[in-house]
Amino acid sequence: MTGSYHIVVVNATSKYELDIKRNITILKGDSATGKTVLVDMIRDYVSNGPDSGIMLSCDIPCRVIDGNTWEEQLSPINNSIVFIDEGNRFVSSEEFAHYVREGKNYYVIVTREKLSNLPYSVTEIYGIRGSGKYNDMVPVYHETYHIYEEYIRNLQAGECITPDVILTEDSNAGYDFFNTIAHNNSGNIECRAAGGKSNIYGSVIHAHDHSVLIIADGAAFGAEMERICELIHSGADLHLFLPESFEWLILNSGVIKDISKDEMEHAENYADSEKFFSWERYFTHLLTQNTIGTPMAYSKTRLNDYYRSSNITKRILATVQGIDFHYESRV
Amino acid sequence: MLHICFGEMENANYGPDWFKVNYDPKWLKDPFVQKIIKDVDKSEYVDGLIINSPVLGPIPPERLSGGAQTLIMIYEKPELIFDATSCGENCAKILHEIGMQKDVTINLNYLMKFDDVESLKVYIKNEERVITDMEDYIMTAVKYV
Repeated sequence: MTGSYHIVVVNATSKYELDIKRNITILKGDSATGKTVLVDMIRDYVSNGPDSGIMLSCDIPCRVIDGNTWEEQLSPINNSIVFIDEGNRFVSSEEFAHYVREGKNYYVIVTREKLSNLPYSVTEIYGIRGSGKYNDMVPVYHETYHIYEEYIRNLQAGECITPDVILTEDSNAGYDFFNTIAHNNSGNIECRAAGGKSNIYGSVIHAHDHSVLIIADGAAFGAEMERICELIHSGADLHLFLPESFEWLILNSGVIKDISKDEMEHAENYADSEKFFSWERYFTHLLTQNTIGTPMAYSKTRLNDYYRSSNITKRILATVQGIDFHYESRV
Repeated sequence: MLHICFGEMENANYGPDWFKVNYDPKWLKDPFVQKIIKDVDKSEYVDGLIINSPVLGPIPPERLSGGAQTLIMIYEKPELIFDATSCGENCAKILHEIGMQKDVTINLNYLMKFDDVESLKVYIKNEERVITDMEDYIMTAVKYV
């Protein structure tokens, strides 16, 4: 399934608008913000159509599943946006992750739990906020907002940081790239690999005496955000750099020709959820396919030396704003 | 005291489901239940089974938020264990207040912060100890959720 979908749900008292563009979207936040009301309205519309008194606008069907019979409910659903309210413990199960991996639908999940089985994006975790009140002439308007907006580093607007340590998610090509930068820094920056995103927290929890830059795949880092952000909130000298993925960083730098702007800027139209569990895998596929059989051939397991060359490294780093890697002055 | 067990727990009940089929209309007359409704849902208990919501208008108790319903169950049925994951962080202060009034045990599967609580005192069942320091609480919680 591909595409971006604008959903509008309205009844006499409430109006919701949200945009869904990935296979997994999380809704969380305070109680009484209207998350369950939204799911209930969709459920009523699915059951009774316009007779429910609810207007639902979306280019594809919206569905609701819940309870112990969730698999029976989900099995026949295809090419739909499936809403799941909180209290459905199956969302953290491996069985449910299997269905999501099949990619036949997009899922909007209301939960405060960390769903470690699912690779959801840091940008697709939303809260709901409303404006207006009952008895106004128009329904109370509800819209979504990014829960982790302040922590998803805005490198274009933020101050420039100089990390002592770069911590990458794993020891693959991304680590090779940043480790090369660290080696060219005469010991000013150290690069470490966490050995998986779930190990990042354990790697930084006691890092009180130096500035750590965490570089991870934003496309799949959602489950880790709560506890990492709590460390930042508590005053730890941690910074997050969360591009979609390392492959996205390379593609976005323009060092690979023949990648259309649309494939990068509107990945939702290309990252078929039946093929790609997360956008990280889509960008890996895009980079691998476009460099295969060339000197730039990309392998995720080990970085091609082409990408370690001074010229290419500079071009990639030039797209990263707000972080001083001390690179240009030392090579 | 508020007893917290972090992580999956087999005998934890889902508050909103319990509330919808088990609530006693008399509970709504209790000033503390009315305080829960006011603090979390910004709603006013009117009379009988009517609650006035600033967003939804007049509603029955079944349409209170999942957080308010769970808090009411924790308060009214302290002998049961409820999964307070259905309570957002705006429920934390009043949840702590319930724990100051009576011994209750909850299950939590996310990092609920008690930022608005002046004197934190909770018992963490996973570690069998009382925690009174906020940083200690957070560092303990993130080990399990």
